[in-house]
This record gives sequence, C-alpha cells and structure tokens, in this order.
Amino acid sequence: MSSGSPRSLAVFLAMVAATMATACGSKHISGPTRPEQVLVVLLQDSNTGLTGRAQVSNPFGSIELAAERDATLAKVNRRPDPIRTLSEADVKRLFGDALAALPPAPQRFTLYFRFESDELTPVSRALLHDIVSTVKQLSVPDVVVVGHTDTMGAPRANFQLGLKRATAVRGLLANAGLDISSIDVASHGEADPLIQTPNETPEPRNRRVEIAVR
Amino acid sequence: MGISLKWAGLPALVFVVATPALAEQLTAAGRIKVVSGSAFIVRDGVQTRAQVGQLVFEADGLRTGADGSLGVTLKDDTRVSLGPDSEVLLKRFAYAPADGGLGLVINFVRGVAAYVSGQIAKLAPDAIRLETPAAIVGVRGTSLAIRVEP
Repeated sequence: MSSGSPRSLAVFLAMVAATMATACGSKHISGPTRPEQVLVVLLQDSNTGLTGRAQVSNPFGSIELAAERDATLAKVNRRPDPIRTLSEADVKRLFGDALAALPPAPQRFTLYFRFESDELTPVSRALLHDIVSTVKQLSVPDVVVVGHTDTMGAPRANFQLGLKRATAVRGLLANAGLDISSIDVASHGEADPLIQTPNETPEPRNRRVEIAVR
Repeated sequence: MGISLKWAGLPALVFVVATPALAEQLTAAGRIKVVSGSAFIVRDGVQTRAQVGQLVFEADGLRTGADGSLGVTLKDDTRVSLGPDSEVLLKRFAYAPADGGLGLVINFVRGVAAYVSGQIAKLAPDAIRLETPAAIVGVRGTSLAIRVEP
C-alpha cells in the first residue's frame, strides 16, 4: 500500500493520523489542542564510537543532524528548528530512561576453517571460549551461525559445505556449554564472500563461519 | 463480460496480497531483551504484559506505563528502547539480504525512545524510516533519541 502512494502524501497522512489520535486521546485538556512537538537528537554509537547522520523532514522543510548531540525540535505546522547542540546533561535528563533500557550491543565473531573441511583453524578454535562467555553474560541470548565458503567447487556443493561448517560450529558451542536450542544455523555458501574473488579461487579468509550474538 | 472478468481476477489479487503478509508474520522481527516496571506488547489490538525473551513481530506495538521501560533487539541488530509513558509501533520489518527484501519503519507515537541502527542501515539506508507526529527521520548508520511531547 505504502509503496504505491507518493511518499510526501503518505508522510502527511501519517502526521495527520497521529495528531488526530492524540487530540482524541486527551479529552480532559480544555481549549485548543497544543500541536505535538518532537525533539530528535543524534548520538554517538557507544559500541562503534561513530556518529552517523540523520535527516529530519516534514512537509515544510528538512534539516540534517551530523554531529554528536545535534538536536532539532520539529512541530507539525512548520519546518524543523535550526540545530542546537544539547549538553551531555541535557541528553541524560531528557532521554536517560530510554537510553538505560537499550539492550547490550550485538557482537560478531568470525571463525576460519581448513580447506574443504569443517575443521577449525587452531586460532579460531581458541576463540570458542570467548564466544561462550559472551553468550553466557546475556539473559536471553540469540545466536545465529552462518557458514561461508570460498569459490572453489560448485555453488550447490558450497552451500552444503557452508551448512556443514555452521552445524559443526553449533555442535562445538553446544559442547562448550551453550543451549543448542538458542543457536540458529544457516549457509550462504560461496555467495557472500568476505574477499571478492573470481570463481574457482582458493581464499582462506572466505572459508569461515560468522556468529552473531545478540 | 466486464463484470465477470473483474470477479475472475479477484481471487488472484487476494492471493498476491495475502501471501507476502503471511510469510512475514511467521518470522519474528526480534526479541524483547529488557523490561522494567509496567511494559506491554500490543498485537492485533490486544495488550499483554511484555516479558524478557518474548518475540516481537512486524505490526506489533510496544508500550510502557509511568514506571516502565523496555528494550528490543531486532534480527538485523537494530536496537530500540522506550522510557516511561512511551509507545512505538513496528510498522515494517523485512530483513532478507539474500533476496533484497530490506525495510524498517518505526512509528514513534509518544514518549521517549532511543534507536541504534543495525545491518539494514548499512545495506539499505533509504529503506529505513522513523516516523513521528511532527517529522520523518531518515538515518545514515547512527544512534539517536526521540522525544514526542504533547
């Protein structure tokens, strides 16, 4: 539905709907309803240390937040306010409750394999314990194990090899004390290489299993 | 003749519309990781108390009371959390990198929320839309916080 309608119209309708819902929900307020306002602040990703960008737009204009704690106040009936930079104390006072409820940052690990094998390299084998201790710190862990191969051999055989590698890693993690039911396995075969190569190229860095822990 | 053609096309149309929706509903979008105080999940108009470990699906609403907060991690590593007296709606979540199905639309209805982007922001930043009552926010790989004030 949304893909068929012009974006600006969809945006406008969403705003009208939200404003009306608010107006209907606050019948105890007498007199003219105050239009809603929204404060948006850009933050540093504490996991990566990076600050991205955010574009705040409504039908009256648009503003880009590009530095840490850049903020804009947007109202329904006019363009978003010019940027002002909030202090760290402001951020904590205004958003502290929500920020404190953020789940821990997801983590990724990569394990490498011997050629045409589901046997880990010695370095990767040593990493298993780090993965297990990371998972055990989480109250409700989700672990996703995805197997990859290099481009030697047929894609279908490589899909199977990737799955074999992922399943082998799941077995190792279960042996090391993780609940096997919390571990999903999948294979991307040779379709998702870490290092782009021509077909039929041996590449140890592509013979890997990636493990996402969140 | 025109009428019979119209009706003949109807089952096909229903099939096309219903199939992707069904497929998406079967796959969880993420999981509730943090709950404190009164926090709720709203599914098909029914509000139930949120619990740590509960799955979250596309079209779910998340809501907190005056003493509540809640945090969710989605399957692409996106994280969203709510402070007290807050509500967000997960309008769309699609994370299928292999066939290009990527999308994330979150409606921030009221209160205070934090957002940290995940894989969808890296693979298809234009497929992300954070909606609020007064503006739409587009993101480029970032963390931000939103406060909707009455």
